[in-house]
Amino acid sequence: MDSKAVDSVLIRRLYYFFEPYKWWALLAIGLTLSAAFLGTVRPKLTQIAVDDYMAVGDYEGLFFIIALLGLALVGEFIVLVANTYITRWFGQGALFRLRNAVFEKIQSLHVQFFDKNPIGRLITRTTSDIEALSELLSDGVVNMIGDLFRIFFILSFMLAMSWELTIISILVLPILFYSTFWFKGKVRVEFLNVRDQIARLNSFVQEHINGMSVVQLFNREEKQKNKFEAINRDHRKAHIKTIFYFSIFWPVVEVLASIAMALVVWYGGARALMDQVTFGVLLAFIQYVRQFFNPIRGLSEKYNTLQSALASSERIFDVLDTANEVPEPKNPVQIENKRGEIEFKNVWFRYNQDEELILKDVSFKAEPGELLAIVGATGAGKTTIINLLLRFYDIDKGSIIVDQNDIRNVSLEELRSYFGLVLQDNALFSGTIHDNITLGNKHITREDVIRASKEVESHKFIKKLPGGYDFVLRERGASLSMGQRQLICFVRAMVYDPKVLILDEATSSVDSETEELVAKACKRMMKGRTSIVIAHRLSTIQDADRILVMHKGQIRENGPHRQLIRKDDGIYRKLYELQYKDQAITA
Amino acid sequence: MDSLKHLNRYTRDYKGTIFLGALFLTGANFFLIWIPVLIRRTMDEVELLGEEYTTDFQSVFEILFSSEAGAILALNSLLLIGTVLLYGILLFATRQTLIVSSRKIEFDIRNRIIDKLLTLPQRYFASNKSGEIYVRATEDVSRVREYFGPVFMYTINTITRAGFIITMMIIVNPRLTFWALLPLPFLSLFAYWVSGFINKYQLIIQEQYSDVAERAQETFSGIRLFKAFNRIDHEQTRFEEQSDLYRKKKLKLDMVESLFHPTLNLLIGVSIVVVIWQGGIMVIEGLITVGNIAEFVIYVAYLTWPVASLGYTVNTFQKSLASWERIEKVLSEPVDIRDREAALTGEEMKGEIVFKDVSFKYPGSEDYALKNVNLTIKPGSNVAFVGRTGAGKTTLINLIPRLFDINEGELMIDGHDVKEWRLSSLRRQIGYVPQETFLFSTSIKENIAFGVEEATMQEIEDAADSAQVLENILDFEKKFETIVGERGITLSGGQKQRTAIARALIKDPKIVIFDDSLSAVDTKTEDAILSHLKSQLSDKTTIMISHRISTVKNADIIFYVEDGSIVEKGSHSQLLEKEGRYSKMYQKQLLEQEIAQI
Repeated sequence: MDSKAVDSVLIRRLYYFFEPYKWWALLAIGLTLSAAFLGTVRPKLTQIAVDDYMAVGDYEGLFFIIALLGLALVGEFIVLVANTYITRWFGQGALFRLRNAVFEKIQSLHVQFFDKNPIGRLITRTTSDIEALSELLSDGVVNMIGDLFRIFFILSFMLAMSWELTIISILVLPILFYSTFWFKGKVRVEFLNVRDQIARLNSFVQEHINGMSVVQLFNREEKQKNKFEAINRDHRKAHIKTIFYFSIFWPVVEVLASIAMALVVWYGGARALMDQVTFGVLLAFIQYVRQFFNPIRGLSEKYNTLQSALASSERIFDVLDTANEVPEPKNPVQIENKRGEIEFKNVWFRYNQDEELILKDVSFKAEPGELLAIVGATGAGKTTIINLLLRFYDIDKGSIIVDQNDIRNVSLEELRSYFGLVLQDNALFSGTIHDNITLGNKHITREDVIRASKEVESHKFIKKLPGGYDFVLRERGASLSMGQRQLICFVRAMVYDPKVLILDEATSSVDSETEELVAKACKRMMKGRTSIVIAHRLSTIQDADRILVMHKGQIRENGPHRQLIRKDDGIYRKLYELQYKDQAITA
Repeated sequence: MDSLKHLNRYTRDYKGTIFLGALFLTGANFFLIWIPVLIRRTMDEVELLGEEYTTDFQSVFEILFSSEAGAILALNSLLLIGTVLLYGILLFATRQTLIVSSRKIEFDIRNRIIDKLLTLPQRYFASNKSGEIYVRATEDVSRVREYFGPVFMYTINTITRAGFIITMMIIVNPRLTFWALLPLPFLSLFAYWVSGFINKYQLIIQEQYSDVAERAQETFSGIRLFKAFNRIDHEQTRFEEQSDLYRKKKLKLDMVESLFHPTLNLLIGVSIVVVIWQGGIMVIEGLITVGNIAEFVIYVAYLTWPVASLGYTVNTFQKSLASWERIEKVLSEPVDIRDREAALTGEEMKGEIVFKDVSFKYPGSEDYALKNVNLTIKPGSNVAFVGRTGAGKTTLINLIPRLFDINEGELMIDGHDVKEWRLSSLRRQIGYVPQETFLFSTSIKENIAFGVEEATMQEIEDAADSAQVLENILDFEKKFETIVGERGITLSGGQKQRTAIARALIKDPKIVIFDDSLSAVDTKTEDAILSHLKSQLSDKTTIMISHRISTVKNADIIFYVEDGSIVEKGSHSQLLEKEGRYSKMYQKQLLEQEIAQI
């Protein structure tokens, strides 16, 4: 597709975010029109003041014109302020809508999208990429229209006074266009070079701050200093080269404007001698010539920002166009009888097509109220089971069934409300303990929170914190111990009274003081619900109804602790011994 | 103001150029004011001529090219174009001197900073955020440059231009000058206020911007949790709240910004209207001519930018100064790890290392990272340190090449305090492979030869061979010229580690330190490296930190480090007999291997 067509599609899509402000935009264009008129009418009024009143000594008439001039001036001021503010206001509004839409879209996407895109990139899409559109969406377009209006009015006023002088005064325009064109071309190349040099310099600095110990250990201070000087020199050279073009361009613009003035005076002077042009017209033209240069320069600058803004909008729309790979079912079924029965039937899964299989033909069933433990070495596929159950990913083959329904037929919200989830990393956020438990759900009252936290033995320690449940956590809960963080995550899972509890046990060790609390809490949580526990500490799961031993994507052993521990060559037994050793080292 | 004095010292080498630039700018402004003067003169002469001439001209060309009037007009116009050209050339020269000098000064300052950073001890990098240090050498320098560039230039420009123009205006008519200049001080004040407000408010907006980014960060990194708990809608609301705050704060800035240009326009406009009004009355009274009004109108236009830039200049100056003060702090940072006088050179170093009651705290930390460490490493021996992450192993070995200096006790090499050795000789004799492999984004060849003055290709290949990375390198399309890092090829963790080993070995050091440097290498390659080293390093003192028993079991002495102290020491078999921490660690690893092999 050619770039023009792409641009027009982009513009149309951007317009959607302006939709609510379209009348304001129209008003802004109207205001711009009047500001352009009020700004350009003033030299015309001075011409009248000079020719009609000063020339004949009419004080009253002069005063009248001055009053008109003052009015035009104040009028332009008011209109300009209002106009700039309105355009900025709806520009910010459109940006606000766009930013929220991007955030909403990203949030709604499948979890794999987050695996594939580094968080930093996603943040860039919601922040700086939107910011790059700021100039375009706020006053860029309206100003361009304003510049066109100004050029139009200036030309009309000039033509109305004298077509000959008009032609004389725009004689220099081709040179201006040519030199602007030349300058833009040169500067674009130089700017690219400057940008590269800045990037080179910055990455050198960055790299050497991070690797300073290596530099010093290898006695490379002197050499790296020389290397930096060379880079720094190139950086300087690139800047000095741009300065060269700037120091040519700006004087050229000034000189051209003055030459235009000289031409007006020269030719206009002669016409004045023939009484065909008045002094007032000369004065007006001198002002118009200066005024004329600004919008022309403005237009060429804004065209560039427009181009670069469209480039970053492409990246934004790329995100907005991403398809959700874990779609909602078209006709979701309501689960009538919620008992908490879970079944994996011959499930095959891999994260990416070109990677190895993570789960190979996995089948198991958890009856309502049962405690099912999953153990295995790192990378055996334990966490994947949870990811699939919550439909963070869709499986390749087989089916996952919750209370007789394939999870792909249940709405995501209903499916996920089945589960109370405690994740391995015990994710806490900055905010109060209360908010960390409710995750901002206003329907959960303080009473609910207290009840849940009493149930998992956390009420006592939370109450002791300054402010209790309103204690503000900083830096993801760094002020709490590992065990305390885990307990808060327990409360978070329990407050929803879920049918199924999913516990991905933390790998990091818990201090012995809270260890006991955590163990007790676990037991109480599991009472009366189906529980799936990914265990790292085997001591917690000895009373599990069934233990699944995962190894390299397959279920290798299945049974209660008593039974598995008896198998001499069993994986479970080995894991158990390993754990025992590990605890001995810690102790 | 002391720091300003220090800053101005950087102009020393460019004094002549800067003075010349100031002269050029003054000259440019001198010629600039001839433009309105010539326009006025032309208009006045035309008026006079108009009264003299009574004959009708046939065409405009007759006047322009054949009459006395035409000659006057042509002369004036040519004079005008001449002065304008002079003005333009001088303006070009101004930028070429003043702005170019500012870039040169920027170059000098930046070199100074890097020079300083290269000598600062690790203590400095440990206690300052790398992002902060980075800003010193990049953004802060750019801001200081603005002081030497735009601030210098605009200040001189404002002073000379305003000086010339106001003088000319007063010569023409003091009363009209008063009226024309009346709004201009307000313009300056207003510009000062606006640019100050913008600077201040940009910080507020920047903060809000990070708040928005932080919300996105928190939501995106906890996405599984929020999806699992069905809290997506709530996260959306929270994001929108921040997003809305951002919009509102931005609008407040927009409010001031939308006042700026119109107010500028208004004040200049008022000045011109007042000139026409008061000037008009004077024209009627015959005190001045219409040409004078044209002249004044142009003067006012010429004054607009210099007067408005005054406010901007003051603010930029303040910002530059603040940046400079931060830079000066870096430049005055003490270099506390350096050579004593009459330091020992290291050619005859044997490589005996003795720690005597060594204790160490990181700067700013209350707790001891090392407590009463006592150990002796014989020259040519092979020792290993094991223990949990954070036990103090890396801290301990970092003291040997003096990345940090000890607080208490004695650290001796060959019987001399480590501080007596010349720093460069000491480090020359130590081949260090750090825990986090750091390679520079240059070619593999340059990375390996990093620590030696000049290396032959043969030496580089030998080092790569000893580190078992030669084959990998030869597999790359560009072999040793392959660029490492973002702009080049991404090496695997193991390849990186082995390249770093080659970098340490090529120095042919007396002491070799491996800080967990084989963790990303598979056991087979590890064996190959270790046996290779054993034959090569027999006369060298070798120190290894590792979590793998397989790496350390052949060491002469193994030290088990826990909480900053050495709790077990001995050979592999001695430690196994002890049935202490080391032997538990060993058995655990055996089991892990067994499970992995199922």
